[in-house]
Order: sequence, then C-alpha cells, then structure tokens
Amino acid sequence: MATTAAAPPQTRDTAAPRRPGATRRPVHRTFYLFLVPSLVLFTLAITLPAIMGVTLSFTDSVGFGEFDFVGLTNYVAMVSDPAILSSYGFTIGFALVTVLVVNLVAFLLAVLLTSKIRAKVALRAVFVLPMVISGIIIAYVFGFLFSNTLPRFGQAIGFEPLASSLLANEDLAWLTIVFVTAWQAIPSALLIYIAGILSIPGEVYEAASMDGASARRRLVSITLPLVAGYVVINLVIGFKNFLNAYDIIVGLTNGGPGTATRSVAMTIFSGFTGGDYAYQMANATIFFLIAVVLAGIQLRATRGRSGI
Amino acid sequence: MTATTLTTTAAGQVPTRRRRRFTGRGGDEHPNRPGTVVLLVCSLAVFLPLYATVSMAFKTTQQSVNSRVFELPSPLSVEGFVEAWDLTDFPRGFAISVFVTVVTVVGTVVLAAFAAYAIARNWDRRFFRWSFFYLLAAMFLPFPVLALSQVKLTGMVGLANPVGVAVLHVMFQLSFSVLLFTAFIRGLPEELEESAKLEGASTWTTFRRIVFPMMAPMSATVAIFAFLASWNDFMMPSLIIADSTQQTLPVLQSVFQTQFSSNYNVAFASYLMAMAPAILVYLFTQRWVMSGVTQGAIK
Amino acid sequence: MPSQPPLASRELTRRSFLRGLGVAGAGAALASCAPASAGSGATEIIFYQSKPEVIGYFDDLIEQFHQTQSRVRVRHDATSNLAGSFVRESPPDIGLLNYNFEVSRYVERGVLSDLSDIPAVERIRDDLQPLIDVTATYPGRTSVIPYSLMAAAVLYNREIFDQHGVQPPTTWQEFLALCETLAAAGVTPIYSTFRDPWTIAQGPFDYSVGGMVDTAEFFSRLKEAGVDVGLDHSVSFQEEFLEPVERMQTFLQYSNEDAASRGYGDGNLAFARGEAAMYLQGPWALTEIAKSNPDLDVGAFPLPMSDDPDDREVRVNIDLALWIPEASGKKEAAREFLSFLMQPEIIDAYNAAALGFGVTTDAAPVTNSTLAELREYYDRGAFYLGASQLVPQSIPLQNYTQSLATGAEPERVLRTLDADWARLAFRA
Repeated sequence: MATTAAAPPQTRDTAAPRRPGATRRPVHRTFYLFLVPSLVLFTLAITLPAIMGVTLSFTDSVGFGEFDFVGLTNYVAMVSDPAILSSYGFTIGFALVTVLVVNLVAFLLAVLLTSKIRAKVALRAVFVLPMVISGIIIAYVFGFLFSNTLPRFGQAIGFEPLASSLLANEDLAWLTIVFVTAWQAIPSALLIYIAGILSIPGEVYEAASMDGASARRRLVSITLPLVAGYVVINLVIGFKNFLNAYDIIVGLTNGGPGTATRSVAMTIFSGFTGGDYAYQMANATIFFLIAVVLAGIQLRATRGRSGI
Repeated sequence: MTATTLTTTAAGQVPTRRRRRFTGRGGDEHPNRPGTVVLLVCSLAVFLPLYATVSMAFKTTQQSVNSRVFELPSPLSVEGFVEAWDLTDFPRGFAISVFVTVVTVVGTVVLAAFAAYAIARNWDRRFFRWSFFYLLAAMFLPFPVLALSQVKLTGMVGLANPVGVAVLHVMFQLSFSVLLFTAFIRGLPEELEESAKLEGASTWTTFRRIVFPMMAPMSATVAIFAFLASWNDFMMPSLIIADSTQQTLPVLQSVFQTQFSSNYNVAFASYLMAMAPAILVYLFTQRWVMSGVTQGAIK
Repeated sequence: MPSQPPLASRELTRRSFLRGLGVAGAGAALASCAPASAGSGATEIIFYQSKPEVIGYFDDLIEQFHQTQSRVRVRHDATSNLAGSFVRESPPDIGLLNYNFEVSRYVERGVLSDLSDIPAVERIRDDLQPLIDVTATYPGRTSVIPYSLMAAAVLYNREIFDQHGVQPPTTWQEFLALCETLAAAGVTPIYSTFRDPWTIAQGPFDYSVGGMVDTAEFFSRLKEAGVDVGLDHSVSFQEEFLEPVERMQTFLQYSNEDAASRGYGDGNLAFARGEAAMYLQGPWALTEIAKSNPDLDVGAFPLPMSDDPDDREVRVNIDLALWIPEASGKKEAAREFLSFLMQPEIIDAYNAAALGFGVTTDAAPVTNSTLAELREYYDRGAFYLGASQLVPQSIPLQNYTQSLATGAEPERVLRTLDADWARLAFRA
C-alpha cells in the first residue's frame, strides 16, 4: 500500500454546512449514480471479507467443508502459541527499528537536499528512485549481494561476523530485512521531510543567523520543532506500513533461518494452505485491532500537526 | 554491509559539515560543497544494487558464476535476457502487469473522482458525509487482515485472476484517493459550476466539462499512487491469482526463483526486465512524481 | 470435533453464510473463467496428480483412456495449489494423491464424496483399512480408495556389505555393531541429508519410532486424549518417543560428516556412487539412484530397533489414493476414469513401474530385487504407518526432526511437540 497520511477533513471548516442559510436543495440523482457504485463495490470487496473473516475466526474452519462455531477457542489458543507470539515479537521489533532508521536517514538527507547543494534536482531524483522499484525484486538483488558479495568482502577484510552469509545467521538475518526495507521506504519519508522543510519561511533562518545561532542550534531549535508534525506523521505511517512486512522478507529469508524472521503477515497467510484457516483468521482479527489502535494514534497525530 | 556503513557515517557527519551552510536557506553564502559530496557518496547506496543488477544481467552464465558482482561484463552478453524472456514468458507477464496497473489507475481515478465529487458537493447530506467516512475506513485495514476471506470470495465468484487483483487494487486505493479528491474539490470555486447549471448543463456535463478537467493535478497524484501500488505489488497477486501462468511480473520472479538456480545472469536479466518499465516511466516523469507524491503525502 | 451443534443447524450455518456470501459476491463477477467443456459433447474433467516422478506416466495413461472412449476428456493438473482450489471452492474433479495429513483434512471436513458403491472397493485388501482409518475417517463414507502402497526401509549397498563380510542386522545391537565395523573399515555407514527436513522425518525418525512404538495405536490414543497430552497424562510424545528419538540420534552419528548441508538430490547421487553403505530412503529414491548408476546392487532391510528379530517391521504409506470431491459437478465422468484406473492390469502396471506394492487382493507380487527383500513383511502384515504422516501440517514436525538430527535435546523438542498437539486439540 502507498505511504499515505490522512489529515481528516473534519479538522477543516467542513463541519459547517456548505452554504449557510441556503435552503436544502434536492440532491441531484446523478450524484447518487456517482457514489453508489463505489459504495457497492467497496462493500463487496472490503466490508464483506472483513465480516466474513471475523465471523470465521470463531469457528474451526479449515477453509472449506464443514465447520463448527467454537467461540473464543482460537483466541485463547493463540495467546500461548509460540509461533504466533514470536511472529508478533519479530514484526513489532522490526517495525520499531526500521521506522527509526528510516526517519533518521530520511530527515538528514532532507536537510542536505534542501541546502545549497549542486545538482539538487538530479540528487533528489536519485534518492527518490528506490520508491518505484518492486520490493520483492530488490530483495532478490540484495539477497544475492548478502549471500555472495558481502561474505567475500568480510573474508577479505578478515571481519568474522561478515565472513559468512548474514541471511543464514539466526541472530542477524533481521538486519538485512531492516536494511532493504529502509532502502525502499526512505524516499517517501524523504519527500515528506523535504516538503516540510521547504514550508518553513526563509526569514526564520535569517533572523536566527542574525542573532548568531550556530547551524547545529538552528537545526535543533528551528528545523526540528517546525517539522515535528511531519516527524510524527512519518513515524506513525512508517510503523503501520512496516507491520505489514512481507514482500522483502519473502525475497530475502522467506521467514528463516528456522522461523527467526517470520512476520505476522506470513503467519496469517500460512492459514491459507496449512489448514489453520479459522485460527489465522483470529490472528488477523487481532492484527486488525492493532491497526485500528494505530489508526487512532495516527488521527490524533495528524490533528496535532495542524495545530502547529 | 558496505552500503549501510556508507549511509550511517555520512549521516553522522551531517551536523558538523553543514555548519556554514544553514544560513543557506534564504541567505546567499557559497554552495554547500561538503553536503554535495556527502550526498554523492550516499547515492552509491542507491546505485550499487542497480549497477550490480545491470552488470550481472549482461554477463554470460559462466561469468555470472565466476566473476565478482561489480566486475564489468566482458564480453557483453544478452543470453540472460533471451533465456529469461522465454523461461518466464516475459511478454505475457508484462502484458498482465500492464493490464492490472492500467485498470487500477483508470478505475481508481474514475471511481474516486466520481465519489469525491458527489461527496464534496453534498457534504451537508448525512448519506454523503457518512459514505465518506465509510470509504475512509479501509485506509486502516491492511491487506493481510482481509487476505484469507478475499482469496475465498474471489475464488467463489471466478475472480481468482488478474481482473480480481485489479478490482481489489482499486478498492484498496479508493479510500486514500477519495480523501485527496474531496479535499481538492472543496478548494475549487463553485461559481463555474453554478453558471454552467444556470445555462442548463446537467450534473454529468458539468462534471465532465468543468470539474474533472480542473481536477487534473490531483488526478495525476492519485494516478501515481495507484500506479506505484499496483505495478509493484507482490502480496495480493501472489495470493489471489490461482494460476501461476497468469501472474504479474513481481510474482513471476518468485515463481521462477528456483528455476533460475545458479544461472545468475538469467535471474538478474529477469529482475532488470521487471524493474525497467517503472524506472523508465519515473525518469521521464520524476519531477511530476515527486511533487505529486509530496502533495498527496502531506495532505 | 467437540461441541458439535445439531447437524441441521450446522448445515444451515454453513449454507446460509457461505453460499449467501457467494451469491452476494457474484455481483462482482466481472469475468468468470468457467472452463468451457470440450466440444462435441464430451465432458472434460480435471485430474489432479502431482507426484513428480510419475507425471509423465499418467499423461500416457490419460492418452490410453482417451482411446478407449470418447465421452470423457481428462485434463491433467500437476501444478495448482490443491488446498487453494478447495478454499476457492473449485477443486479438481478427481484426485490421486499421497494419503497423509493433507488429504486427512479433506476427508474429515466431508468435502470428498462417498465411493463405497464403486465395485473396485471390494478388491482392496482388508488389512489396509486400519491404515486408512487412523489417518482420517468420515462417518458413513468411503472417502478414498488406495491405489499404491510404498514400503520403505534401510537401503543398503550389497556390494559394500559383501566386501566387508557383513549381513543386514536383525537386532538393534547388531545394527550398532554393523555401523562400528563399517566405520572402522573407513566406510561411511549411513548417508544422511539433513538439509531437506522431510528426508529426516520420513527416514530416520519414522523408522526409529515405528520400530519401537505401535504408531496406529499411539495416535488413536492421542486423538482420544484430546488436550490431555503430556507427561502428566496417560499419553505423551515425551514419554513414548524419547527412547526412539535418542536411538535415532545415536545411529545418526554414523552419518557422513557433511550431512547438515546435503539435500535429497545429493544423497541419491552419493549413494549411487557408493559413498556410503546405507541410505534411509523409500523406494522412490531407487529410480533416482538408478539414473546415475543403473548397475548399483541395492538391498533393503527394516531398521531393527529392539533385541527381538521378530519385532522388525517395514514403514508403509499409502502413496497414492483416489478421491472425488463433493463439489465436482462431473462425478459420473470422474467415476468412469476412476474405474479405468482401477482395472487390474492398469493398477498392477503402475505399481510395477513406480515400485509400489499392490493394494488389491488380486495384485501381482512385486518383482523388483530390492523390494523383494521387504515383501515377506508386507505379506504377513508386519508394517506400520510413518508417524510423520500422522501429525497435522500445523505442527512443523519436519523442522523438529531436523533440530533433533542436528543435536537438539530430545526432551525439549518432545515437550514442544506435546504442547503443540494439546494446543491443536484444544482448538480442533
């Protein structure tokens, strides 16, 4: 899914009727024709599966054939299932680390890319490029580099941890996933930071430098607070997206070694062919609740930003 | 991890290096040369994997196994491309990817523009207002949550194919796109529409002749997002499409991963062919893409 | 299936819910890819069979079938995701598949139709029934018809055995002594391929467990016990699998040194080249071995796990079984093809070619020289079902056996297995 931030429109003046005082005109039929097809398709493609998923999570369905309703059994079993717990542990840890790495690098790049540099347009274009490359494909490319080139490099410089493939290392494989995910996710965060920095009026800096503030000081006390809203947005959206980690993991480790890098999405999909259909539906439902909580935080965060 | 090291050290240097430059924004000091250098070094992190892909793709199988990744291919060979083209049935995968992406982009722009126009111009009506929030809800529903049910439902109605993926792509893009369009339409002056209506134009004609053309910049943004989400998607087609001969380009790479085995030149040629279209489109439209994405992202 | 509501209400739930959704969703069917039936009035059925070694063989059989009649056309599907086709409610019309934990789901959820009225069912050997029942049953139905049975044991290189003057062992002690003798003579006793977890599960693990535990009886007790599995209860993997697993770890130490990085393909090649004396694989490996060394003289013996030679039994599995899904709209045509496949000369020819044992009372005896050594065990019913085939897919048993083979502590792994089983039973 695209990296997206939503400022809820209700924060604008929309709560008030469009034309105050105007008499209620009849709604033209065409407007219904414009809206209803989308509503119907949306209901069939999104709402219906969601209801079906939640309902089936209370059964023992294997995806086909007969099933019984089993109440909360799946949810109770999940809580003590090491496979599911470890996938949540991995996914949340991975998302936290990645979101920090992505935002740190993207912010610093944005600061540089908005300064007086040469070839500004070309450099910006370069750093945005990874956004248009498919995650699974770049993961295969990096997978090759990690399992062939990097170990060779490690051996050459005699650095033990790199001398064998990181992908086969149960403790370190997740680093490769963070790296490739960041590689691909930095551009969208970068664009938001660039937009944020460019929206700061130049006079603010001029005034500050006249007062003799150092560059570091200006960064900390002007740029950072003024783009704080964007930082929050980027953190929330990034975290939400990284929780869905799938493509890049499939391309790099496919969840291994063992099950060290199995994400929640991978675990849920295993219910499709492995016979744990209803069980993974319960997992998906919990995952959905987490997404809802994050959405609440996101709304709050974006609302906060418009107050800046 | 060469590339990481590069990025992090470069990033670490930033605060000290930019000492003189920050007066930059607004000031008229000399250009930030150290900053340019740092950025150039960082850009290696973007270029190296792409260079590796190109270089491996043009090697012979023999070279791709024996030589270093970053060594230039010599002689230049296209055997990898020829073999990948046949093995993965590239034209077919390409056609399917293009089909899914085009349907997604057109479907998203059209449906979202219609819906957003109806919502924005009838915001005082509860039905339209609630529809807006209803459509918005999907922005918080990640695909994994719906995947298992969607696999079943698409299968039951005969949509376990690229058409089904395109429909689902449109539906997942709808929320965000309606949000962008609605905000945009609110900013449009209503006078033109009113006068068109006074002259007797129908709502449909008004939309087609006046409103939709004015929405062009936002349509471009919506289209770019839809394009990126659809063209590069792996998760949804890999689960929804039942027949692997109807798969999209990204999924084909994983389908053939074992068959590439140690013919690295074939594998990389295949990756390159799958990445190239999006990169080419980007090179020609990058300013547009950047402004569009920024516009969309901070809305 | 505990807490089963009355049948009627369950039917209602299922129908009204799923079908209802289906009908509602049908509105979204912009493009339906309903397979057009082949012209000229023939019915086209989809035949699912994916055992890689015999795909070509069945293509030839289908050709033969087409020549005998013109009512039914068969399309061979060897690549689709079978579970996916059931989830999507568009299963094949007839399937011929390994009868294991995967097919057991189809049986138990009642998606396979009843075949009891097909005459060929009468010819199936009676002593196979327990093997079918312990895997899965559906009340009142004959859901599958066995087609081919594989008997697996320890494959050995007769030439190497002769050179060192050793005989196939009949007891656990003899087996260990044999490994010692070979190792002392500089011969790798056993070739193992730990990189492919299934090779450990189906070979060393199943042989060790099957040699000491009555698997059919053990798994029936497990199913009855439900969630009450573990050391505190009457049945547990920890209690009953511990000794077999420890013995497995003991004899696996006589494996090639690079076992951890070797896979199935490597193993076939190495054994064919005479790089080891024994290889714990099933008959499916024989054809692969013959590809690289057709002259290799291979024998087979059941792995002795106790001190009583009479305890020796071979591991069997129902390698192929036929079934017809309920959801197929072309059951008659599918049955016609099924009857064709069950004709004595067809089924015997298949089993001879694929090195399987016949499952019918009128089957021809095996003639392959390797398998002939195992024939007496099969004929007198001295066989067991591999434990790895009876554990549902949700439990990553193969990965567990891989950990065991590479030295994991048996108590810990078996405790996990008990917990997994109890959790599965809890939500079953």
